[in-house]
Amino acid sequence: MSVLRITAKGTEPAGESLGPLIERLRQHRDRLACTPVDRLLALFDNFAGRLLRDPRTSRLEGAMFLSAWLRRSNLEQLLALNLGGNLAHLDGFVPQGRNYLAAKPHGLVAMWMAGNVATLPMFSLVPALLAKNVCLVKLALPDPSGMDQLLAVLAESEAEGLRGVDLLDAVAVVWFDYHEQRLNEEMSLAADATLVWGGTDAVRAIGLLPRREHCIQIVFGPKYSIGLIGRKELENDAGLESAVAAIVRDVAIFDQRACSAPQTIFVERSDRRSLRQVGEIFAQQFARLPAKPDLDAYTASRILNVRAAYALDASKDVIASTDGANWTVCMDRGPSLKEAVQSRTVFLTEIDSWQDILPLLSPKIQTVGLALGDLDESLRFAEAATQAGVARCVRPGIMNNYESPWDGKLLVSQLVRWVTLKP
Amino acid sequence: MQEQIDALIHGPQYATPQAEKDARLAPLLRTLCRDVADRCPPYRRFLDHFGGDAESWHAPADVPPLPVSMFKQFLLSAVPPEKVVRELRSSSTTGQQPSRITVDKTTAFRQSRALVSILKEHLGKERRPYLVLDAGDVVAAGDSLTARGAAIRGVGNFASETVFALDRTGDGGLVANWERIGDFFARHNGQPVLAFGFTFMVWTQFTMEAERRGANFHASDAVLLHSGGWKKLASQAVSKEEFNRRTAAVLGTQAARVLDFYGMVEQVGTVFVDCPCGNKHAPAFADVILRRPLTLQPVAVGESGIIEVLSVLPSSYPGQALMTEDQGVLLGVDDCPCGRKGKYFRFTSRIERAEIRGCGDTFAHNRELR
Repeated sequence: MSVLRITAKGTEPAGESLGPLIERLRQHRDRLACTPVDRLLALFDNFAGRLLRDPRTSRLEGAMFLSAWLRRSNLEQLLALNLGGNLAHLDGFVPQGRNYLAAKPHGLVAMWMAGNVATLPMFSLVPALLAKNVCLVKLALPDPSGMDQLLAVLAESEAEGLRGVDLLDAVAVVWFDYHEQRLNEEMSLAADATLVWGGTDAVRAIGLLPRREHCIQIVFGPKYSIGLIGRKELENDAGLESAVAAIVRDVAIFDQRACSAPQTIFVERSDRRSLRQVGEIFAQQFARLPAKPDLDAYTASRILNVRAAYALDASKDVIASTDGANWTVCMDRGPSLKEAVQSRTVFLTEIDSWQDILPLLSPKIQTVGLALGDLDESLRFAEAATQAGVARCVRPGIMNNYESPWDGKLLVSQLVRWVTLKP
Repeated sequence: MQEQIDALIHGPQYATPQAEKDARLAPLLRTLCRDVADRCPPYRRFLDHFGGDAESWHAPADVPPLPVSMFKQFLLSAVPPEKVVRELRSSSTTGQQPSRITVDKTTAFRQSRALVSILKEHLGKERRPYLVLDAGDVVAAGDSLTARGAAIRGVGNFASETVFALDRTGDGGLVANWERIGDFFARHNGQPVLAFGFTFMVWTQFTMEAERRGANFHASDAVLLHSGGWKKLASQAVSKEEFNRRTAAVLGTQAARVLDFYGMVEQVGTVFVDCPCGNKHAPAFADVILRRPLTLQPVAVGESGIIEVLSVLPSSYPGQALMTEDQGVLLGVDDCPCGRKGKYFRFTSRIERAEIRGCGDTFAHNRELR
C-alpha cells in the first residue's frame, strides 16, 4: 500500500491514491465553517486537560507545553493577535466602519510535517482548524510517534455542541514515502494552502510541486538558533547558574533537533570567569539531566568526531560526559556559527562583545536565547538582531515554546482569507 | 615490546582465544599509545581529555578510540618529517580532504609483514601469478601512496608475476584490457592464480563487462580478494552473495574463493578477511570492538554497533585504536564454525545520516553569512 492513514484508532492502509480522502475532507468543509470558534476553543481546552491526564499522551515529549498552549486563554490570545483583536471575524462578517470584514478559511490546507518533533503536527493542525480549514497532514515518518495517541485523545474530547470525533472528520493524517512524486503532486494540487515544515531538501522539493493558481504557500524552513550570555550575567553567580540551567533545558528538549534549539552559545569575555569555568557550569547542568533514551549511529559518530577535533586542537577545549555520548561542551574563541551536531552538543564561543556576532545574524537565525543580564542592553541587541533577520529573542528556558508569531509569521492570519462586504 | 609485537605478527593469526588475546594486547596498546602521545602533542591532548590514567586501561576496550576522520582534519604524526618513508592517503571524494598517514620504516615493515601473515593463512605460502584489477599508475613510485596503491602492493607480496588488468583512458577513466586479461588466464590455465581489486571496480569494470562479453576464464583455482565500500553496489541492489556468485562464475571458480576484506588506509596491514563462513576475524596483532552508539560500551553477541579497530602495528602515528564510520554486527567469540578463535563479525554498512532531520537540520554556513 502506498498511503497509510493515521487515525484515532491506529494506522491503516489507505490505498494508492489520496483522492478518496481529499473528497471526504471537501465534504466536511461547510460543516466546519459553520462551527462557532467558541466551540472549537472549548473543545481544544477540554483536549488540553485530557492529554495530560491520559497515560497515552501524558508522557509524550512536549505534552506539558502542548497542553498549556491548547488552553482557551492562550488560544484566545493567539487568535486576538492574529485577527486584529476580534475573534468574531472567524464566525462571519463583523462591522468595520460602514463596511464589513470577515476571515474565511482557504479551504483545504495540505501540511508536510518535519520528523523531528512529535507534537509538531498539532501546532499546525489546531491553527488551521481554528481558521476552519479542512486539513490533509502528511507525517515525515511511518511511525506516527504519538500522533495517533494525540488523535485518539482528541477524538474523545468534548465541548458543548462539538465532539472531537466529529471535528476529526475535517482532518486526514497520512504517511507515504517522500519519493512518491505522484502522491506529493496529488496532495499539492488538492490544496488551497500548503504548509511545509522541514529542512532545505524537503522545502525545496515541495516548493517545486505543481499548485493551483490561488494556492498560498507557508514555509517553516530550516533555521538555526543560538544563545548569548552577557558579561553582566557572568558576574551574577545565581543568575548565571539559572541561565545555564535554562539553556541546558532548551538544549535537551526534542534532543536539540528543533530549529529553536540553541547550538552555538556566545559568551562575552569576563575577568570574573574563564570560558572553561562557564563550560564546567554547563557540564554540571548537563550531568543532572536524565540519560538520553537512545542515539543513532550517525549522530554518535558526529559527536565523537567533534569531541576529538576539539581535544586535538590546542586552541580549543572540550568537556564531555564520561558515560558515553550523552552530552558534550565544546569551547573555542572568535565569533562563528558551528555546524549543529545536536543531541546535547553545545559550542561555547567566547567573544569580546555581543556586537561581534551581529555580522553572523541573518534570517537563518530563528531564536536567540538571551541572557545579557540587563534590559536596556537586551533591547539594544534585539533591535539589531531582529533588524538583521532574527525571528525571536527570548529568555533562556522558553526557546522551544512554540508561539505566535513564529518565524516572523502570524500563522492563523495567513490561514484565512480576509473578505469584505461594502453594502 | 618490539619482540612481543613481532611475535604476534609472525605467529599464527587466528589461534588465540579472545580472553588471552585481550590480555596480550592491552599492555602493548597502553605502552604504544603513551609512547605515540609523547611524540604527537595533539594525540597527547586527546588522551588527556578522554583517556584518563593509561594504567587504568585493563582491556583493549578501555583505550579511547580516535575517530578515523581526524586524519582528514589533522596531520597526526609521531615522527619527524625526515623519518617518514611514505605518506599514505585515502582516496577522497570531490571536495573532501583525504586522510594523511605518516609511516616510518618500522611501521611500514610491520604493515607489510602483517599483511603477508594474514593472507598466508587464507591463501597459503606459495607465490602465484597476480592479476591486479586496476591500472599500473596507482602504484607508481613516489613518497605518497593511496589506499588502493598500498593494498595492491601489500597483496603483491604473494605475486610471482604481476599483471595490471585495466588501462587508463585519455579522460582519466579506467577500461579493462581484455586481451591482456585473456592472455593472463590462458598462460596460467589450471594454475592457482590470485586476483585483487576494489569492490566497485571489480564489479563494474570486470564482472559486468565480462558477463556482457560472455567471458568465462575457467580459472578454477583462482582466488579473488577485494576490498572497498559496498555503498555503490548496495545502491545498485547488488548483495554480497550476488557479487560473489557472479564474479566467481566469470572467473570459473567457486563463490567461496571470492574473499572480501575489511581494512582502511589508517590501519594498513591490519585487514579482516572473510573466512569460509563469510565472517571477518581479527588477526593476532589486532582486534575489533563494536560499540553501542549511546553508551559506547561494547555490544553483546548478536548486536550491531559502530566498528572500532585496534592494532599494535603503527608506531609513527596514533592509529592504535580507531573509531570507524562503519557499522557491523558481532556474530560471536571463539566459536566460528571455521575454527578461527577470537571475535568474528560482519560489516553491514557505512554510517549514513537519517534522511529526515527536520527544521533544525541546517548548517551554520559561516561563509554564507559573512
